[in-house]
Amino acid sequence: MGLQELVGAAQRGDPLAMAALLRALAPYVGRICGAIALADGDDAMQETMIQVLRHLRSLRDPAALQGWVRRIAVREALKLARARARQLPVDHVADQATDDQPGLRLELVDTLRQLSPDQRVVLVLRDLEGFTEAQAAALLGVETGTVKSRLHRARRAFRERWRP
Amino acid sequence: MTDWPTAQLDPVRQLRVLAEVLPGVGLVERVLDIPYEQVWSFLADLEHSVPAFDPMVRSLRVLARDGEHLTVATRMPHLPIPLRFQVELRDGWCLMRSRPYLVGMAAVPLPGGRTHYAHLEGLPVRRPPLLQPLRPLFRRIVTGDINGITRALGPPPPRE
Repeated sequence: MGLQELVGAAQRGDPLAMAALLRALAPYVGRICGAIALADGDDAMQETMIQVLRHLRSLRDPAALQGWVRRIAVREALKLARARARQLPVDHVADQATDDQPGLRLELVDTLRQLSPDQRVVLVLRDLEGFTEAQAAALLGVETGTVKSRLHRARRAFRERWRP
Repeated sequence: MTDWPTAQLDPVRQLRVLAEVLPGVGLVERVLDIPYEQVWSFLADLEHSVPAFDPMVRSLRVLARDGEHLTVATRMPHLPIPLRFQVELRDGWCLMRSRPYLVGMAAVPLPGGRTHYAHLEGLPVRRPPLLQPLRPLFRRIVTGDINGITRALGPPPPRE
């Protein structure tokens, strides 16, 4: 079954199609949620998938699926990342153990942890998704200048961390 | 930049997502003090496991199998004709859908030889929300089935 057929069957409420759609979207949603929400990435991904299936009937054009899912994933990941940032000051977040991310380059994860959620999300949209600054601004509902300054601070943090 | 952190949606979380969007189902999760391999090798043998843990099923027969996709027929004590299910079965995941009924089973291994098990049953329809009062009923049915699974798998091995 192609992706468009899958979306149609899931929109009609077929649980097997819903499950297949979850698996088809998982790699993409997992990248966005993992990079923005970090330790809360699995929770953000679960919440994203609930929202996707709950509102799937509102998606009129299955070809727009990826962009629609991206907006939901960014919103849910940002929500959890901001909640985590409110609970823990940045230096505590940076000190958290990284055992839950086996195999990852610890420097990358640690550096991402030291960024604010809003800085992480522009980095993800720009460097992982290949968005322009204007596109990222439109998705996040902020000015392009705001995206530029957040991106500048995020990249400076990386440069300082990884300076030879 | 490579090696971005990636989130995962394991089988138990996949079942939680379905339970959230299907108003007429009940989901129960439990940590079983039984190794994952033992749990899943038992459950994946549907012809033997389902009649063993579900008192509503007298027999289950696999009619067709194409990789992860199966068609099965179940016989129930009070139904004169068998009920057919389309099944998706893979490691840690089983979803069985007939026209009137849905069954989902998911498991992930936990440290210390334990298993995180989730089980869902109910009506495979998205609407109406009026079905939500049925959730407690299906949770009771599912709890009975999970008790049946633990009984069928026997007592946990003694710990050293």
